Amino acid sequence: MAEQTKAVSKEEELKKLSVMSTVRSFLPLIGLVAVFIIFNVLTGGRMIKNMSLVMSQVYVTMIASTGVFFIMTMGGLDFSQGSILGLSSIVVCFVSKQYGNIPLAVVAGIVVGAAIGAINGFFYVNRKIKSFIVTICTMFLFRGIIKYLTSNAPVQGSTQLMLMNTDRLKMICTLIVIVIGYAVFRFTKFGVYLRAIGAGEKAAKFAGIRTDKMKFLIYVLSGAITGFAAFVNSVKVGSVTATGGSQLETQILIALVLGGMPISGGAKARFMNVIIGSLMYIVLSAGLNMLGLTTQTMQLIQGIVFLIFVAVFADRQSLQVIK
Amino acid sequence: MSEVRLQVQNLCKTFGITKAVQNVSFNINKGEVHALIGENGSGKSTLTNMLTGIYSIDSGHFILDGKEVHPKNQVEANDEGISIIVQELGTLSGLTVAENIFLGHEDRFVKYGIKNTGAMNREAQKLLNQYGFDRIRAGAMVDEYNFEDRKLVEIVKATYFNPKIVVIDETTTALSQEGREELYKHMNRIRAEGNTVIFISHDLPEVLRMSDTITVLRDGVYIDTVKSADMTEDGLKKLMVGREVTGDYYRADYGGEISKEVVMSVKNVTVPGLIRNISFDLHKGEILGFGGLSESGMHEIGKACFGASFDREGSVTLADGTAINDIPTAIRHSIAYTSKDRDNESVVMNQSIGDNICLPSLDTLKNGAGLLSDRKMKAFANEYANEMSVKMVNTDQFVSDLSGGNKQKVVLARWIGKDSDILVLDSPTRGIDIKVKQDIYQLMDKMRKNGKSIIMISEELMELIGMCDRILIMKDGEISGELMRSPELDENSLIAKMV
Repeated sequence: MAEQTKAVSKEEELKKLSVMSTVRSFLPLIGLVAVFIIFNVLTGGRMIKNMSLVMSQVYVTMIASTGVFFIMTMGGLDFSQGSILGLSSIVVCFVSKQYGNIPLAVVAGIVVGAAIGAINGFFYVNRKIKSFIVTICTMFLFRGIIKYLTSNAPVQGSTQLMLMNTDRLKMICTLIVIVIGYAVFRFTKFGVYLRAIGAGEKAAKFAGIRTDKMKFLIYVLSGAITGFAAFVNSVKVGSVTATGGSQLETQILIALVLGGMPISGGAKARFMNVIIGSLMYIVLSAGLNMLGLTTQTMQLIQGIVFLIFVAVFADRQSLQVIK
Repeated sequence: MSEVRLQVQNLCKTFGITKAVQNVSFNINKGEVHALIGENGSGKSTLTNMLTGIYSIDSGHFILDGKEVHPKNQVEANDEGISIIVQELGTLSGLTVAENIFLGHEDRFVKYGIKNTGAMNREAQKLLNQYGFDRIRAGAMVDEYNFEDRKLVEIVKATYFNPKIVVIDETTTALSQEGREELYKHMNRIRAEGNTVIFISHDLPEVLRMSDTITVLRDGVYIDTVKSADMTEDGLKKLMVGREVTGDYYRADYGGEISKEVVMSVKNVTVPGLIRNISFDLHKGEILGFGGLSESGMHEIGKACFGASFDREGSVTLADGTAINDIPTAIRHSIAYTSKDRDNESVVMNQSIGDNICLPSLDTLKNGAGLLSDRKMKAFANEYANEMSVKMVNTDQFVSDLSGGNKQKVVLARWIGKDSDILVLDSPTRGIDIKVKQDIYQLMDKMRKNGKSIIMISEELMELIGMCDRILIMKDGEISGELMRSPELDENSLIAKMV
């Protein structure tokens, strides 16, 4: 039979296909480099000269994106990230000032983040409400609490906390989260289960995954990670106002999508999405800022870029079944 | 000779790297039932999906009564006189029976922009009564009816406007005997009216009995068109597979003693609304069959044994006293399950073949540092995918790209890799072609000889008779009879206990 020739042509086509998918997966990286070069040309090299300033904005987004990346891989969403960051930052600042104990402040921030994550997880899993609805509710709920706590004056961190504001510390904190996040995602059961739930929850359950427990834990974990990001945030800003952390959720969402994350999650999520996406988001917003664009124009441009990326990376093909 | 109704000319369709249909040409006549057969992935459904506007045509033509047709969707296809009854559920939930029947053709009942629901319901009820489906109410939500009745609604929907061509795509696999008879009646009626049925089925005796002409496809390529009257089942198999199908189809032995050793004991299991007070023992090395009508509750028994039933009462215990109440416990104690709903409950569709096979076995695929090893996972996936001879490019390919039979192989590869001792197989050969079926039967026989125990739930009575040591028949949620393996056992003795 013609098996032989068929196998050969299949091999060739597979090669072609895998080349294409490699190109596609590098697209965000190419985009990042291109955007970086374009803004450097447009700003006359000002961006590269102020790199440390640009980078100082990436850490919080990148850390928090790691948690949301897990959630999105599993097929969920989280809009309460900004409120988690705000409230955890208040707690970090408060504990640092009240008790003068930085490690305690870090732990307190993480615990508060995890607790909010647990509330999200409870309503999502036990009450079976869609994740975006639950997290929009908690976003408002905790934003309200933040406003109440900061109604008299911003919550100040201790001097010790503010003195820690170095690029080195923030970079190390980010690296720790990224490295652990990558290892967990790529080389543990947890990571495989996440992708399986995103790719087909019912079948994942029938393959022996405790899907409900996993979903709950992921929200707790994501809250805890953002609680840790709150420490980096507090170090950077020193005090928290009523708007502390707001808009983080949209920043994260845009960053992940810019990084090539499929919006429906599943097996095509790559950890690279987190790193490239956060960098791209920061380069983009810092660049537009340096060009002297108003906030309104910047939002307009971000919206357009976001739409284009969603259109390119939305995974329509994997839904097609050949019979 | 009869007149040509449809000419298929040089038709091609590719999905990514898969050539689903390659340069296929043949003719279909008026007033005939024209069967389209071939193994999974041979391109039957792809071809008819292009005809009915579900897929677009890459190249080639359909000439209907001398005029080229090129429908862009099912409504356009209907307007050209082509309709389809699909394999899975083709009715839309949340709509009434009447709205389903007239979907896309509501304009008939619209006056001044307002839909006349009463007129639509009356018209639909008239049609339903004409077809003899009086018990279905046109104004009721389609969700109120079970799978079988919804299929009947689809028959009305696809044929009420006297289409020139009706495509029936593997509809019978999902139907009980009663539902099939109903469908056959309408196929014969359509033929008698001078119109054409394109009939896709894996059930070769059915194909031979029902069709006038048979066209065989293999790997997307046209093989031959033959007269049913001149063909035998073996002849068809040979055309489909491209070689002689040799060896036993089912297992050949009779009269073997069933081991006394009980591996799983099910006591007083009740799932409200589905099964009542079910008790049985599964023995070592036994194939225990469950037969019955689709709604008899037998499918729930599989879930109950796997700890996957919601709201189950009673107990499922293993020989060592372990109670099986949830899926992870079941898997840890070497129980495997393949669902009837393969795409939702068995395979993780949008994930790679490799991950699908490795999922329950991840604990054994770690390296020294306790992290998952890519190398070990790949080797593991390859080993068992190859053992099951999954037709694939490599294990990174997504399961959603595979045909039904290959998906089932992936599921089986997963559980063979896990080395499960108790296998609960619900409709393991549903919608699967003969060659893969034979592979699965041989695999089951081999497992049985290796001391594994199998629960086989099936709507196909022949495979139960052919494979099982013992068959329990289900009726209305209860066990209505037990039959032992014997060469004298035939379908009628099972049916007698089913209805």
